[in-house]
Amino acid sequence: MTTLTERQSASSPKAPRRRPRWMKLPSFALAIPAWAWLFAFFVAPVALVVWFSFGYKPGIFGTHANDVLSFDRYAEALSPTFFATFQNTLWVGVVGTLICLAISIPFAYWLAFKAPVSRRGILLAMVMIPFWTNFLVRTIGWQIILAPSGVLSEALQSIGALDEPLEILFTRTAVLIGVVYNYLPLMILPMFVAFDRVALPMREASKDLGAGRWSTLFNVTLPLAKPGIVVGILLVYIPLMGDYITATVLGGAKGNMAGQMVANQFQTAQNWALGSAMAVVLVLTILTTVAIAALISWLAAWPLRANQKLVLGDKS
Amino acid sequence: MKRLALTDLSLKVWAVIVFAFLFAPIAVIIIYSFNEGRLLVAWNEFGFGSFAAIVTKPAITDAVMVSIQTGFVAALIATALGTMAGVALARRAGKWAAPFLLLLVLVTVTPEIVDAVSLLPWMVFLGQDLGLSIFDNGLVRLVVGHSLFATAVVAYIVRSRLVGIDESLEEAAADLYAPPFKRFTQITLPLVMPAVLAGGLLSFTLSLDNTIVSAFVQVSGSTPWPVYVLSAVRTGLRPEIAAVSTIMLLLTLLALGLVAYVLRRAGDSATDIAKTVGGG
Repeated sequence: MTTLTERQSASSPKAPRRRPRWMKLPSFALAIPAWAWLFAFFVAPVALVVWFSFGYKPGIFGTHANDVLSFDRYAEALSPTFFATFQNTLWVGVVGTLICLAISIPFAYWLAFKAPVSRRGILLAMVMIPFWTNFLVRTIGWQIILAPSGVLSEALQSIGALDEPLEILFTRTAVLIGVVYNYLPLMILPMFVAFDRVALPMREASKDLGAGRWSTLFNVTLPLAKPGIVVGILLVYIPLMGDYITATVLGGAKGNMAGQMVANQFQTAQNWALGSAMAVVLVLTILTTVAIAALISWLAAWPLRANQKLVLGDKS
Repeated sequence: MKRLALTDLSLKVWAVIVFAFLFAPIAVIIIYSFNEGRLLVAWNEFGFGSFAAIVTKPAITDAVMVSIQTGFVAALIATALGTMAGVALARRAGKWAAPFLLLLVLVTVTPEIVDAVSLLPWMVFLGQDLGLSIFDNGLVRLVVGHSLFATAVVAYIVRSRLVGIDESLEEAAADLYAPPFKRFTQITLPLVMPAVLAGGLLSFTLSLDNTIVSAFVQVSGSTPWPVYVLSAVRTGLRPEIAAVSTIMLLLTLLALGLVAYVLRRAGDSATDIAKTVGGG
């Protein structure tokens, strides 16, 4: 909106020239500090890592060398030993995101449409409190709960659901529970906002026009909330793929997430070249899977798009 | 009507289950902070020993102090940079805005582990190869590492707040010959203040929580709290860690309450607060 009015007043010669001094400063002046800061401490270091990934590890004591450039580190990063870890990371990432989605849709729906309006604010704050408790500490909380002699194990045994101690800690299931827990609020929040924007009148209109409850949900509410759902999926999937804290605490010291592998190359093996290549592969894996998912959902919506007529508000 | 009530009921039950899931580990940590045993994970008996032990362990208090100092400075930097960037994006978006937004998006979507492994060699390069010894300082390294993501978040929040406010006040000030700097400090800044404060407090909590970047860039002698806990995960967790976490949870709740209070005084509804914080 602002850019539109600015452009109009600038292009029309008759419009009185307001804000004369405003125009004298270059428009990006205020953004320069942030730009410079992010360039110095984000763009440059990441570029350095990409550069390292084409090098190699010289001898036992060196961490990286770049006098001979090759794609060998990428081949090494994708060799069977490490490839299995990438596969595992992808499995945890995709399944974890899907579980978050399955938990969040009914929950955010309830929060946006069914929960008492007066208590909505406090309920939202309650969703966010775990999110702002230290990441590591809440994961340790799960370690206590899931331990073979822990609360859950004892409770399940006392009600007779389990005959022996629960052997779930330091497995992939434990890591999955941990990541779902740690990133769930990031899915609920944007999804709630999205549902909240689908105004009640829109849903009532749909019902008045004879649509059933499920039909309203699938043809009106969910399609209109789609942007928020997509944001939620990205907010969960991206950090989840790079996570290594949860896997370290719940998956044991030799857990197998790509993040741990990258960290090991930098901290323990001191092979920065290989670690850099792994980091690049990790980022490329994330980007590729997001692109594939976008393509699939676009193709899947093809037959639906033909008879979709509902557009909410203007596209600003 | 009966089926309708049934779906509503099952949705409600689901919500209760989700809340129980969300609070389970936090409740466990709070309960176990009163564990008198030697190891956190093995419950022994109830007592306040762990809270008393905090004071006698300089490593713990030092780590918490490092975290608080880092959080404070990182939040200041991120808020200053992010606010200016957010104002520029909302009020003076030009051709530069698209690549700049792309940069902010890249900062937010890059997995933290990639930031971490990039910053480590970069700090070594700046500190040792270029001789900028300031980057050998542990606090400086932590502040830089924590400020990146936070800058982007503050910029989003400030931008989304300002986009929703009409520009006429600033135009009126310009018509009355207010110089740009005065206009910024006296009109624009007060308008975005709730977003600035919310962004600043968010940056602070994000910094307190930061584990991955911290673990890589930290220098021994200035270990922040999460890295201390991470090393304890490997060597053996003691109840003091839960005790400190309980105290920090209380402090975080206070900080969050403050954000909500500030935003509400500025006239935002609870839903809008969530939207602001959620970046929508």
